[in-house]
Amino acid sequence: MSQCILPDDELMSPGHLGCQGCGAGNAMRFALKGLGPKTVIVMPACCWSVIDGPFPHSAIGVPVFHTAFETAGSTASGIKAGLVMRGDSETEVVAWAGDGGTFDIGLQALSGAAERNEDFIYVCYDNEAYMNTGIQRSGATPLGAWTTTTPTKFPKENPKKNILDILVAHRIPYATTTSIAYPEDMIAKFQKARSIRGTRFVHIFAPCPTGWKTAPELTIELARLATETLMFPLLEVFDGERYVVSKPRRIRPVAEYVKVQGRFRHLTDVDIERMQKEADRNWRRLLAKEQVSAAEAAN
Amino acid sequence: MKKKSEKKRVFQGVEDMPISAISESDMSWNKTGSWRNVRPLYDTKTSPCIAGCPAETNIQGYIRLMQENKYEEAAKLLWEKNPMPSVCGRVCFHPCTEKCARGGIEEPLNIPSIERFLGDWALDHGIKETADAEAAPGATVAVVGGGPGGLSFAYYMAKKGYPVTLYEAKEKLGGVLRYGIPEYRLPKDILDREIGRILSLGVNAKTAHDVGQKVSVEELANYSASFLAIGLQKSRRLGLEGEDSKGVMAGLAFLKSVTAGKPGAIGRRALVIGGGNTAMDVARSAIRLGAEVEVVYRRTRDEMPAIKDEVEEAMAEGAKFTFLAAPVAILGENGSFKGIRVQRMELGEPDDSGRRRPVPVKGSEYEIAGDSLLVAAGELSNAEAFGKVIEMTNGLMVTDDVGHTSNERIFAGGDVVTGAATVIEAIARGRKAAKYVHAKLTGVIAEVEGEKKIMSMSDINEAYFTPTNRVATAHVPLETMRDRFGEVKQGFAEDDVQKEIARCMSCGVCNACDICWMFCPDAAISREDGVYTINYDYCKGCLICQHECPRGVISSEREDI
Amino acid sequence: MKIVMEGNHAVSYGAKAAEVDVIAAYPITPQTQIVELLSEMCASGELNAKFIKVESEHSAMAAAVGASAAGARAFTATSSQGLLLMHEMLHWAVGARLPIVMANVNRSVGPPWNVWTDQNDTLSQRDVGWLQVYCESNQEVFDTVLHSFWVSEKLSLPTMLILDAFYLSHTSEIVDVMEAEEARKFLPPFEPKQFLNPADPLSFGNLTAPDAYYELRYEIDQDLRRGIDLMKQADKEFEKLYGRSYGIIEEYRTDGAEILLFTSGTITGTSRVVIDEWRDRGKKVGLVKMRLFRPFPVDDVRRICRSAKKIAVIDRNIGFSIGGIWAQEIRAALYGSGYYRPVFGYIAGIGGRDVTPDTVNEILEHVEHLEKPDQDVYWIGVKHEPVHSTR
Repeated sequence: MSQCILPDDELMSPGHLGCQGCGAGNAMRFALKGLGPKTVIVMPACCWSVIDGPFPHSAIGVPVFHTAFETAGSTASGIKAGLVMRGDSETEVVAWAGDGGTFDIGLQALSGAAERNEDFIYVCYDNEAYMNTGIQRSGATPLGAWTTTTPTKFPKENPKKNILDILVAHRIPYATTTSIAYPEDMIAKFQKARSIRGTRFVHIFAPCPTGWKTAPELTIELARLATETLMFPLLEVFDGERYVVSKPRRIRPVAEYVKVQGRFRHLTDVDIERMQKEADRNWRRLLAKEQVSAAEAAN
Repeated sequence: MKKKSEKKRVFQGVEDMPISAISESDMSWNKTGSWRNVRPLYDTKTSPCIAGCPAETNIQGYIRLMQENKYEEAAKLLWEKNPMPSVCGRVCFHPCTEKCARGGIEEPLNIPSIERFLGDWALDHGIKETADAEAAPGATVAVVGGGPGGLSFAYYMAKKGYPVTLYEAKEKLGGVLRYGIPEYRLPKDILDREIGRILSLGVNAKTAHDVGQKVSVEELANYSASFLAIGLQKSRRLGLEGEDSKGVMAGLAFLKSVTAGKPGAIGRRALVIGGGNTAMDVARSAIRLGAEVEVVYRRTRDEMPAIKDEVEEAMAEGAKFTFLAAPVAILGENGSFKGIRVQRMELGEPDDSGRRRPVPVKGSEYEIAGDSLLVAAGELSNAEAFGKVIEMTNGLMVTDDVGHTSNERIFAGGDVVTGAATVIEAIARGRKAAKYVHAKLTGVIAEVEGEKKIMSMSDINEAYFTPTNRVATAHVPLETMRDRFGEVKQGFAEDDVQKEIARCMSCGVCNACDICWMFCPDAAISREDGVYTINYDYCKGCLICQHECPRGVISSEREDI
Repeated sequence: MKIVMEGNHAVSYGAKAAEVDVIAAYPITPQTQIVELLSEMCASGELNAKFIKVESEHSAMAAAVGASAAGARAFTATSSQGLLLMHEMLHWAVGARLPIVMANVNRSVGPPWNVWTDQNDTLSQRDVGWLQVYCESNQEVFDTVLHSFWVSEKLSLPTMLILDAFYLSHTSEIVDVMEAEEARKFLPPFEPKQFLNPADPLSFGNLTAPDAYYELRYEIDQDLRRGIDLMKQADKEFEKLYGRSYGIIEEYRTDGAEILLFTSGTITGTSRVVIDEWRDRGKKVGLVKMRLFRPFPVDDVRRICRSAKKIAVIDRNIGFSIGGIWAQEIRAALYGSGYYRPVFGYIAGIGGRDVTPDTVNEILEHVEHLEKPDQDVYWIGVKHEPVHSTR
């Protein structure tokens, strides 16, 4: 087992208010290691708005501007413009939003910023529901999941919105998915993102034991399972067209992912079969896109 | 970085508040450790390989040192529990490997070949040890028996600084290692070098000194303490008429003759009775002498006590196996052996050994022809002489589990205590006895080893181990195996041993992989120089660290409220 | 340099003279010319600013908030629906104590769609904590951009300067504009004390419990009140340098007035003509132009009204069910004055309905006629169906 290459510096202090086993805690910690201290975070309403701690304290070691729920993309645009006008083109502006603030209420501002190719990194840490307000469904909630607004008698009836496709459609220079189970991948992607100008989108998979009704110690394993069962593939898309897809070392059946989660407890084998088919189909599509884009690049 | 906060800032009045909600300091005032109801802790466990080894060799430990290219330290760590790794790597039945948790990923590590590599490396590089000065002043120690048990005891006592006198009845030291195990399994050159290393620490070996005959048992009283490890020198007889005729030999005697360079005549077709290692050694030696060999064993292959590799190799070399048959009569002509009559068996209820008892099938007798009969049906003790000074039962010496006999100054170990067992077990008993002899002589109570928590397969987090097949060791080609007494297994080259030990998962023992440090959502684990500390002021008890630890080092317990 | 320009362009020139760093704006009738001219100025380089062409007004204010938080001078402009869409972020700018300046063209609120002028859009934002300044002329608009930054940056609170749709926004008047270099004598570069800065990594806006939030709001309230004196000071300093002054309230021919007519926006211009006429006829009437709405200049209003007998207020807005908003504020100001004066509240001009000298006349005659109002609000010129005796 080789020593891992994560940087030593901790820009996130312990004592933060994340739940036991909070995936968002890992996400922030790794992201900060990849971003470094020359960073400003703009944070709309999300779990981290509370996790960061109360005034006059803040667990995050870089400046954080707390902003309204739907404004991550727009406030970040303004901050970047302001910094540049003050002569600072080096500080990286990073929007740090949950799935609510990205897929739903914040989608307009994000889309507007992406269309303008504003120069910041937009991070969505995705726990697949509005967790901060008590586990209500979001556009990121997967099909069939329980939430407080999709109770088990009427679980989520629509599939998860494909936010990556949406961002890719804006042809931004860099869009990627990563996961707290793969910190080296995540940190490398943040370092890569830093070297690119324009709108960069990083979609982090960050399980939530409280909302998913899973044991806190399983958080990392769930993230790993999500990727290995192809429910959350890791990939990068450059300039809206060139796909690079990571192939998991081993592929496991979706049932293994689903069966450990309380939010899926009510699913039948038929439901799981359907999820498996969908995950497989999505994977094939991704691989096909990768092939097509590789062929085009070769020409 | 934000300023560190000692405690939560509370404002006295609007006058000392900022103009808006501006935060200057961090959250370190908030000791989230109070949220816990379980706490993780670093709890080193015994690796299953170590737990599986009768001698408790620190396999995980020496592999880790080898990974760091610290071969000398590795060898010395290994010698702390087993002074003859070059021998054992070649002949041990390797229960360690059966227990190796890597078997749950693809295949266990090839521990015998790794041990052998290390033992050979140490011999080749002439790694020296010096005796310590811990011996009880004026004490002297005797060992009877120059086999693995006696040599082990002698080594550990000499290492402490005791003057050791080793009595061996035969011409050379080694016992079963020399006279029982053939050259193609254990080259005598290796054996000599490893014995030489032991002697060089200060052991005075008196070969051809049979205690009980040449030397009286009472002589032992001249020593402060003695250790008896004379093994089992008598072969069990079949108890059939004609057992002393020409062409019928005890297996051990046959092997001894092969070692001496004057093998007994076995003709073109040799029949071997038995299913243990001696039977396999006999069969394969007979093959090398040009005979066609048939092994007759009264139970099935599954019940054979021989090491599986040996059985496989014997089969590969062409030995024919007849299971569930036992001889009922020896057939002879003019006083010479010509065959046996056997009776078929079937398996009945388990006997004392736990194996199903062979039950004769009436009317199933038939004959097997052969030129020689080699009987390897077990060994018995010839230790009657010692009955004068210690308690014996059924020919075996009576001891407790660390080797005390009924005589205060006499200890015993090895096959003469346990009945037929293994080399490694004898070595283990030699070391244990040495510890207690030393304790007795110095008056310092020996440390009793506490209950060990053994790491189990379920503690392994498979996600961190990429399936990698075992690195192959060189092996003499099958076709030529049977044609020579040269060593069949060739062992590892250095590159290969490094690749193989890279597969070691360090079960139950932290190897500074950083996974726990990495995955704590609260950054509550700090690392420094490969040492990890959980900061219980902040640890929320989520137990991600325990769950992710690839090798089961972290345990958890309920938090005291 | 004097240029004939419409009110919207006066805003643009004002922002340019103020050397704003970041503009984030979304077009809406009748504000579009503001952003169009600013776009050109940025493109040509005469204004060194980043123009973020946001995709909505809510984003415009969010971006302005971000830019200001980063320590840059931020500016935006909007109207009506856009202002309403920004509402949440107006609060944010105040709570975050950011000196953003915004020009708002007063346009009626839908539904139904209406692009003409009234004041409901801005007045319905009265409690957010922004300063509000109402302009009467295009020159005043240009000058007020500079006043606004001056005051905002000292208070760390945002200001909106307000101009009527079409009557100012699209009407050309002579405006004496100055270049940035000249304006700098009045308005120095923005020097924020605390801003987003990795070298001093403060965080802004963390969750605050009742134990501290209360005091933070108290601070806003106290600081906003200081805006009255600061606006007066800005006006004085500006006058010293450039010779133009507006005060926070202008008293026009109020000496000895028995009836005081309070107006704001372009109705003021119309009313001046009528007041002159009445004065020519020997009537004791005077005009009070309200320029500063927030913070509301309570002391000045009390001072001014004491010597009059009756107060009339023209509101080009409606606070549904309680009358005109300016009237309500004036009544509230007079409540603690120690004296009573009847306040006649008139609603006129909502949705851009024309307010002519006749309208003002009608109002003055009405006030002259009654000792005190017999209704709390009078809607001037509501069309009613004529009454039929039989059907």
